[in-house]
Amino acid sequence: MTPFVADVLIPAGKIVAVILYPMVMVVVMIWLERRVVALIQGRLGPNRVGFQGIAQPVADALKLFFKEDIRQRQADAFLFNIAPILVMFSSLLAFCFVPLGEPIRIGTYTLTLWIAESPVGLLIILGLSSVSVFGVIFGGWASNSKYPLMGALRSVVQVLSYEIPLGLTVLTVAFVARSMDLVEIVRRQESAGVWYGFLMPVSFVVFWISAVAETNRAPFDLPEAESELVAGYHTEYSGMKFAFFYMAEYAHMVLVSSLVVLLFFGGWLPPLGGVKALAFLHAVPGFVWYLVKIMFFLYLYVWIRATFPRYRFDSLIRLVWKWLIPLSLLNFLAIALVRFLL
Amino acid sequence: MSRLKRFLKMAFLVDILQGLGVTLRLYFSRKVTVEYPEEVQEPAERFRGILRLHRDEKGEPLCIACKACQRACGTNCFDIEGKREDGAKIMRPTKFDWKLDRCSFCGFCVEVCPTSAIRFSREFRLTGTEKEGLFFRLPDMYLAGEDLQTHLCAGCRRPR
Amino acid sequence: MAFKEIDLNMGPQHPSTHGVLRLKLAVDNEVVLRVEPVIGYLHRGMEKLWESLTYTQVVPLTDRLDYIASLSNNLGYVLAAEKLAGIDVPRRARWIRIVLVELQRLASHLAWLGFMANDIGAMSVLLYGFEARETVLDLFEEYCGARLTIHGIRIGGVPRDIDAAFAVRVRKVLDGIPKWLGDIRALLDENRIWKQRTVGVGRIDAADAVAYGLTGPSLRASGVDWDMRKALPYSSYDEFDFEVPLGRNGDVYDRYLVRLEEINQSIRIVRQALDGLPEGEFSAKVPRVLKVAPGEVFHTIEAPKGVLGFYIKSNGTDKPERVKMKSPSFINLQSLEHMCKGNLFSDVVGILGSLDIVLGEIDK
Repeated sequence: MTPFVADVLIPAGKIVAVILYPMVMVVVMIWLERRVVALIQGRLGPNRVGFQGIAQPVADALKLFFKEDIRQRQADAFLFNIAPILVMFSSLLAFCFVPLGEPIRIGTYTLTLWIAESPVGLLIILGLSSVSVFGVIFGGWASNSKYPLMGALRSVVQVLSYEIPLGLTVLTVAFVARSMDLVEIVRRQESAGVWYGFLMPVSFVVFWISAVAETNRAPFDLPEAESELVAGYHTEYSGMKFAFFYMAEYAHMVLVSSLVVLLFFGGWLPPLGGVKALAFLHAVPGFVWYLVKIMFFLYLYVWIRATFPRYRFDSLIRLVWKWLIPLSLLNFLAIALVRFLL
Repeated sequence: MSRLKRFLKMAFLVDILQGLGVTLRLYFSRKVTVEYPEEVQEPAERFRGILRLHRDEKGEPLCIACKACQRACGTNCFDIEGKREDGAKIMRPTKFDWKLDRCSFCGFCVEVCPTSAIRFSREFRLTGTEKEGLFFRLPDMYLAGEDLQTHLCAGCRRPR
Repeated sequence: MAFKEIDLNMGPQHPSTHGVLRLKLAVDNEVVLRVEPVIGYLHRGMEKLWESLTYTQVVPLTDRLDYIASLSNNLGYVLAAEKLAGIDVPRRARWIRIVLVELQRLASHLAWLGFMANDIGAMSVLLYGFEARETVLDLFEEYCGARLTIHGIRIGGVPRDIDAAFAVRVRKVLDGIPKWLGDIRALLDENRIWKQRTVGVGRIDAADAVAYGLTGPSLRASGVDWDMRKALPYSSYDEFDFEVPLGRNGDVYDRYLVRLEEINQSIRIVRQALDGLPEGEFSAKVPRVLKVAPGEVFHTIEAPKGVLGFYIKSNGTDKPERVKMKSPSFINLQSLEHMCKGNLFSDVVGILGSLDIVLGEIDK
């Protein structure tokens, strides 16, 4: 293996993969969301564009591509243009730190299935996903209209508030695993024999609720709901810029699902992998298990969206400050205590 | 006891799971979508589709130009004139103009017609691209099926 | 940037105003101060138009007023016209009318349920409500040929008789509705998000409700027991055994529960009507050209949305001189401001949905 291949080609390939992976998942998500919501509602959803409608995202993307890029008198043209890029950028960059499996040996070379492994990978991902808040503020401010600004502010308050229980529950996992390195956490779950989702169900539930609120998805999607007054920070955007916000939301969903799977459900480990009788499950590559689990959580996102009404903004904030934060604090203390005693 | 029960229900998200259960069951249920235009749901027998004139078994038109339909109509869709040929027993319409865009599909004309010449059909695909397509003269009132669609589209020749 | 007293406009084009309704809101930091509805976007000059039509020709146009529940409009006008003309409707016709109108009430409430749930965010309930409603509309289509603008009640009776086969199909539909209601109730009734959005929201107490002239299920949700079918029975309603559900708090949740219970009561009434359908004519003999002696009449019925009234003045010809329609949604809309005051503006949509208005009725 020449240095050129090892130091230039493979990392470049990985970068391309890291950009493609969320984009492909976004495409899948667009189709999945419309079909699953439709099937829950007793209708069929897109089933004409391509086999069972799988080319529908292509049609949507083309439509958005050809739409007029409306430019109104913005408060700040630079911020207006950079907002969608920021949101997209933060989601994509975080994927660099998301591992997809154990390293693979090809001959003498070990191919690592991540771009970067950091001992504080978890922290970096959380931090990067917070950068998207800037994009939201810029978008709302630069739209030069009070409704998007109000929508943006509500969205920001929501995201910032829900980061607290998110961080606290993630801390419990880091505590139990004694590491903030995502690869380490999965390896710990393997050696512990039980996934942290079953060990700490309260952490998982609080994390999941906070994650749904973080990604501005139903039932926490008041800032961008269509039937409400204020249509959210992306009201004034059209065409490709709007497509960026749209795709960034789905990419964020995929990122959050990946986090849930890595932290609470064993990442690339097969279920019941410790049981000797089911050793054949290890024959399936870890990446496949990983995908299956991520797909389950994406399905869960859509299922929840189709079922529940929307939280009103004050209920949403009351939920996090009065219930989720105290609960996650108590949960953290309890787990710390148990860990200390054992 | 009931306060405790309520608290437990809230803490264990019972209502949330119940809702999810309902939608999960309905996810697997039979879908009622009729994939138009490949499948067309046939309307009921008495469906009030577009009005058509009819002929009797011998092929003679049933309309006797009595203008009862014109009088009964509340929206002035009809413009009828009739004439009795010398030696004929009954009047026949010489002009029978009917405007589809004025019809409210109320059915009064059908009810008052003494010979059941004018009746509802079950045709509900009544779109056209030109206003002339919505205006029916005497021969047009007997059109059905593809011929009717051609008339409604006013010969625009776009593939359907 | 201070957010004191902004004027917000829920324009005539909005996914959640049930029709073309414009609401001018004055909002102080999310709390609603004033709501001013602007109507008239759907005005078609119905009342004036009716003066140039005969009494029978008016009936299909009444379909277009409250287009969600057109048979009720038909009934309201027809009862007023029959009272004025002194026409006696045979008993069988009156019972068939009740079957039709109560089915229509069911369908109207199912549509309302779908719309309100969709506005609050539960979008699947819209589809479920409409799937249930479609089964009822199929019955109307079979009966007289149309699903929405039904024109199934005529002066003197009904256009057609119903036979045993039709009754069997009606019963089948009635058996299917409670399953849908059960699913929707499991999704919404105890759901914490639904309760947070609806309990205590849009409150109006009994005295204020009566003062504002609120009628229909919204009034009964505030605890006032006033249902025209019981208070001033018309068209054989006094021969039926049914309950009128009442609420307590007059909030959105109570209005939701009252209408759900009314669906059950409507099913009960239709079953009674089918079981005990008397023999007889399905229509009185009404002259082709109906000339009515001079006089005036005002008759009210309980439409699904509230108390619907028709005032007809005749001058001896075959066309009415003046028809005035008192639409329930028009009066109910007045109380929107009272209900919205003090609530957050995210609630305006929910409150408007719970009031169950139809712009066709308001604007005529």
